[in-house]
Amino acid sequence: MKLSEIKKLIISSLDINSAPADLARQLEDEGISFDFSETFTGKVIEKLYASGQVINRELEFVRTMSSAFYRIALTGVAAIVILLISIFMMEGSISLNSFLGLGDTFDESIICLLTGNLY
Amino acid sequence: MGSYTNTDEVELLKASLDGDQLAFAEIVNRYRKMVARTVKGMLGDSVFAEDIGQEVFIKLYHSLAEFRGEAKLATYIQRIAVNLTLNEIKRRKRFVSMFSQTGNNELYEFEVADINDEEKREAKELVHKALMKLDPKFRIVVAMRMLQGYSTRETAEMLELPLGTVLSRLSRAQEQLKKILGKL
Repeated sequence: MKLSEIKKLIISSLDINSAPADLARQLEDEGISFDFSETFTGKVIEKLYASGQVINRELEFVRTMSSAFYRIALTGVAAIVILLISIFMMEGSISLNSFLGLGDTFDESIICLLTGNLY
Repeated sequence: MGSYTNTDEVELLKASLDGDQLAFAEIVNRYRKMVARTVKGMLGDSVFAEDIGQEVFIKLYHSLAEFRGEAKLATYIQRIAVNLTLNEIKRRKRFVSMFSQTGNNELYEFEVADINDEEKREAKELVHKALMKLDPKFRIVVAMRMLQGYSTRETAEMLELPLGTVLSRLSRAQEQLKKILGKL
């Protein structure tokens, strides 16, 4: 087909009453077709797979961090429980005084200690 | 896992969502030409258009879970292609206005080395030159109509534009193309 005919075809393809699908097919037959390179699909899949690996690594890191945090938190709770038990065994109660080490101290002794008046 | 050549779209989408790369590769193979017509029709036949084409399918892959099947898969892909291509045109325009005094035509490249038939090469070059001289908002409706063969209603649906807007753009694009092709 001559270029002048192709020009007419292009113009007529935009007519409202034309059959665009047929005209597009005709233009395609005349070499006006588009496609990507042969490696296109492979490249898309490769890019997706590579980004998938990054996402997986990020997820793995987040999982490791959360499990480490969980273990640290559990260790802390266990330490507090052991401390409370040991206070209870040594002081006989787990009041604030026994927690501060003042369970079996008389009030007078505390005043003496605070004022420095030992005699 | 196996060949998906004759598998219907719903099955392909399900398999792709399950991480089956062969199923997604089949979707890419089915729609790559359609995307190429939009992207290359708008940006020119270059490696940059190839990159945008890849981006279209990567974006599709990441939004597969959001696809509810309300529109056809072709329409959904086409919308992604149109949006990414228009974004790329805007990006290029910004770049040129910041760093260069050259006209818009230098933004678009065209590679015809792979076409051996002289007549076909000339025809493709003619279409490319004519399209690149059109305003992008007219170029997109022309690409949809002339290269994809969509009806006015389908074009309006793809571009999410009112039917009247598409009709008026088609008419104005036709006027512009007559002038452009007259000079080529």
